[in-house]
Amino acid sequence: MNKRKKAAEKEISYAKWGYIFIAPFFIAFLVFQLIPLVQTVYYSFFEYYRSGLTVIGPNPVGFDNYKALFESDFLKYTGNTIILWIAGFIPQIIISLLLAAWFTDVRLRIKGKQFFKVVIYMPNLIMASAFAMLFFALFSDNGPVNAALISAGILKTPFRFLSSVSGTRGLVALMNFLMWFGNTTILLMAAVMGINPALFEAAELDGCSPRQTFFRITLPMIRPILVYVLITSMIGGLQMFDVPQILTNGKGSPDRTATTLIMFLNNHLYSKNYGMAGAISVILFIICAILCLLVYFNLNPTESDRKTGKKGRAARKEAVNG
Amino acid sequence: MAGITFKNVVKTYDNGVTVIPDLNMEIKDKEFVVLVGPSGCGKSTTLRMIAGLESISSGDLYIGDRRINAVPPKSRNIAMVFQSYALYPHMSVYKNMAFALELAKTPKDEIDRKVKAAASILGLEPYLDRKPKALSGGQRQRVALGRAMVRNPEVFLLDEPLSNLDAKLRTEMRSQISKLHKRLGTTFVYVTHDQTEAMTMGDRICVMKDGIIQQFDTPQNLYDYPCNLFVAGFIGSPQMNFIDAKVKKTENGYALCFGDTEVAMDKEELAAYEGKEVICGIRPEDFHAEKHFFHGNNVMEAYIDLDEMMGSESYLYLEYAGQKLIARVPARYAKKSEENIKLAIDTEKIHVFDKESELAICH
Amino acid sequence: MDKKPSNIRTIIAYIVLILLTFLCLFFFYILIINCTRSHQQIQSGFSFLPGKSFAQNFNNVIHDAKLPVLSGIKNSLIVSSCSAILATYFSALTAYGLYAYNFKLKKPAFIFIMLILVMPTQVSAMGFINIITKMGMINTLYPLILPSIAAPAVFYFMYSYMQSSLPLELIEAARIDGCNEFKTFNRIVIPIMKPALAVQAIFAFVQSWNNFFIPALVLQENSKRTLPILIAMLRSADFLKFDMGKVYMLITVAIVPIIIVYIALSRYIVAGVALGGVKE
Repeated sequence: MNKRKKAAEKEISYAKWGYIFIAPFFIAFLVFQLIPLVQTVYYSFFEYYRSGLTVIGPNPVGFDNYKALFESDFLKYTGNTIILWIAGFIPQIIISLLLAAWFTDVRLRIKGKQFFKVVIYMPNLIMASAFAMLFFALFSDNGPVNAALISAGILKTPFRFLSSVSGTRGLVALMNFLMWFGNTTILLMAAVMGINPALFEAAELDGCSPRQTFFRITLPMIRPILVYVLITSMIGGLQMFDVPQILTNGKGSPDRTATTLIMFLNNHLYSKNYGMAGAISVILFIICAILCLLVYFNLNPTESDRKTGKKGRAARKEAVNG
Repeated sequence: MAGITFKNVVKTYDNGVTVIPDLNMEIKDKEFVVLVGPSGCGKSTTLRMIAGLESISSGDLYIGDRRINAVPPKSRNIAMVFQSYALYPHMSVYKNMAFALELAKTPKDEIDRKVKAAASILGLEPYLDRKPKALSGGQRQRVALGRAMVRNPEVFLLDEPLSNLDAKLRTEMRSQISKLHKRLGTTFVYVTHDQTEAMTMGDRICVMKDGIIQQFDTPQNLYDYPCNLFVAGFIGSPQMNFIDAKVKKTENGYALCFGDTEVAMDKEELAAYEGKEVICGIRPEDFHAEKHFFHGNNVMEAYIDLDEMMGSESYLYLEYAGQKLIARVPARYAKKSEENIKLAIDTEKIHVFDKESELAICH
Repeated sequence: MDKKPSNIRTIIAYIVLILLTFLCLFFFYILIINCTRSHQQIQSGFSFLPGKSFAQNFNNVIHDAKLPVLSGIKNSLIVSSCSAILATYFSALTAYGLYAYNFKLKKPAFIFIMLILVMPTQVSAMGFINIITKMGMINTLYPLILPSIAAPAVFYFMYSYMQSSLPLELIEAARIDGCNEFKTFNRIVIPIMKPALAVQAIFAFVQSWNNFFIPALVLQENSKRTLPILIAMLRSADFLKFDMGKVYMLITVAIVPIIIVYIALSRYIVAGVALGGVKE
């Protein structure tokens, strides 16, 4: 009796449609990300590479790949990645905070805000590889930048940007900065504008100077989104690939000081050393998983739709970085 | 056309909460039934079960003779008007009204005829090409009604359709919906938490609380013979006064005693309560300040805490024997606050309730 | 009285802004100028004025025997458009499934997507190449298109947008009006989601258009390659022998269409970045 009714109930239950609608997402995720991830982890414990035309392995070797990894230049590349990321991120966050504060300061009455926003966000949409190629052409030994500097009398001989460590790293950082400061500015601006205006009015009545208002009111109020920007930018930094790859033609020159972790991974994938590629991926995955958890907990305690919405956008944008 | 029958209907949500424990109800064909109760009483769930938007955990639900537990909403021959109107924002008024007919593959000219007929009844002809965004609240409400009308349903379901409108418009739409019901001659089931809407519109009102029907009767009967304390308190504004009283045997029957007052109540039902405490319910308008109501022991003298002058009448907030009361008296007989006033109680209209079970003992 | 400090601050603000604007636009200005100049002109020095070799450079680029630019543009367009459509449609579908229905795995599914919200795809690249090789999709465009079905960040945007602008009563009204669940999604939900779909389609398109890491691993045949890979090929070719007009022209072809679309829709895009899932 009861069972018959249960069956009848199911006919107007909509639950199955929930499963049907989310199925494509999870199938695609399973096939193109989860199974590959499991395989990646699996092969990281195997000797599995190609030598000439012969394939060696897969032979289980335990943690040998990881040992080999730490004996190779892995740590150096980790250092490179961190340096390149920080060199771009510090100016990015400072300039973005400054611009966000200026754009939202009613007393400054900056005109053409929309124009500036459009301009500073534009580099974010540029193909990173094309942008790097452009920089390579512009900053090459006899490129327009050197030509301009010489004709202006600043330099006597061309400065070989791409043969110097700081020149190459500086260019990578500059490109990352240019590509991301507009995005961060817009996010921070939205966060500042989300603060109750009465708070600023109260601060003004209490005699806060613009500087004090910024440090005592604005910064603490937008802290969650700052944390978010920081973490997603770290993930973006870990993914850094296109710019240094194209700029240095995959060599990370000079002397592999511009080789990032993903470039390292890419080299192993190209040479079909799946064991080593797996080991790098697993370490990257562990770091990213920790950062993902931080993002999750940063997103979820703040129930406000406004904030989470913005963060969602930011997440997507940052995920593009690489 | 058809009535609606609930037989032992139970609704339990996935999280294990039972909102409707056992519902039995019969709504007659062409009847205007209002489901009323405080929020969370299960009235909306009941309506949504009729619509097929909520599944039924057990029991049987019929429209006419057809068991519809497993019939999808579109095949139930019902139409529903939502609280937020739920108009499709990307469609014009015309399209909104025509949508259901289009889905049912009705011929174009028939759709046109039906939409135009509904629009003319509701006065929507000038707005047919507009998008819902460009309409006022009242107009949107009418479009929602029109969308339901064109389908020519057996049952109209309305879920708090007026609660998003301002007070004046609400009164206007109230009469419009009542007229529509007469005109269409179909079954209407109307959910509201507003007892005024219920009283003015329903042929019968179903008062619900915690998923249980308290009383299902005509507005007049609900008002005059509430079956328990909850219904008595829920229907009527200002609320009925509840006074703790003691039943006493007198020479020619019984009396209810509270404070210095001793009101004669010649009801056999009170026999069982002799010497016990009961709750005595008196509606605010059953206190009378006019002299000709005063006869003997039905008069009490109360202190006026506050008086609210409403125009033709006054609401007096009284204190009597440590209890707060409200009386509604003609303005010219009222007195000012901080004075005492003598009031007669209409003994015919006293309701007596059991203190434990809260059920009515006699009226 | 109080005006002076604020005036100075305004001036500083404008100076910084103009500097940054210059920095953002200058490189593109040189790019545009140089793509209109011939190799000799470019080598002979820097100029602020455009040359006359635009058509010549363009012609050279698309007819280069070693660089299949035309098919690169075509491949890039196919991959980006399909990715944009799949990412937006299926993200909206997934968001709708989790927003409008109640089922046992609803919460775990949502939390799972939130956890992988910012997970980079590179970490599983090795297994990805492996699996698509086994599926016979190496050297085809499918592995660049199909994974877009699972785009967590687009999903999250759609979900937030639904919370703010898709009342559940609307879906119920559609059910009563006689829509089945797919029809409700396609005829009611999709039109309401249009603004969100448009913004996300642009972002998904751009992301796919610019994507380099995975396509470089997947596409090995010349005729299958997308624009970013062609740029990488150009970079690894012997640079000094190259016609610089062509180099600049290829970069222009890769980025200028995006810039034009961006300028045309900048208002919506910038608002999309700023507001995220919030309506209005």
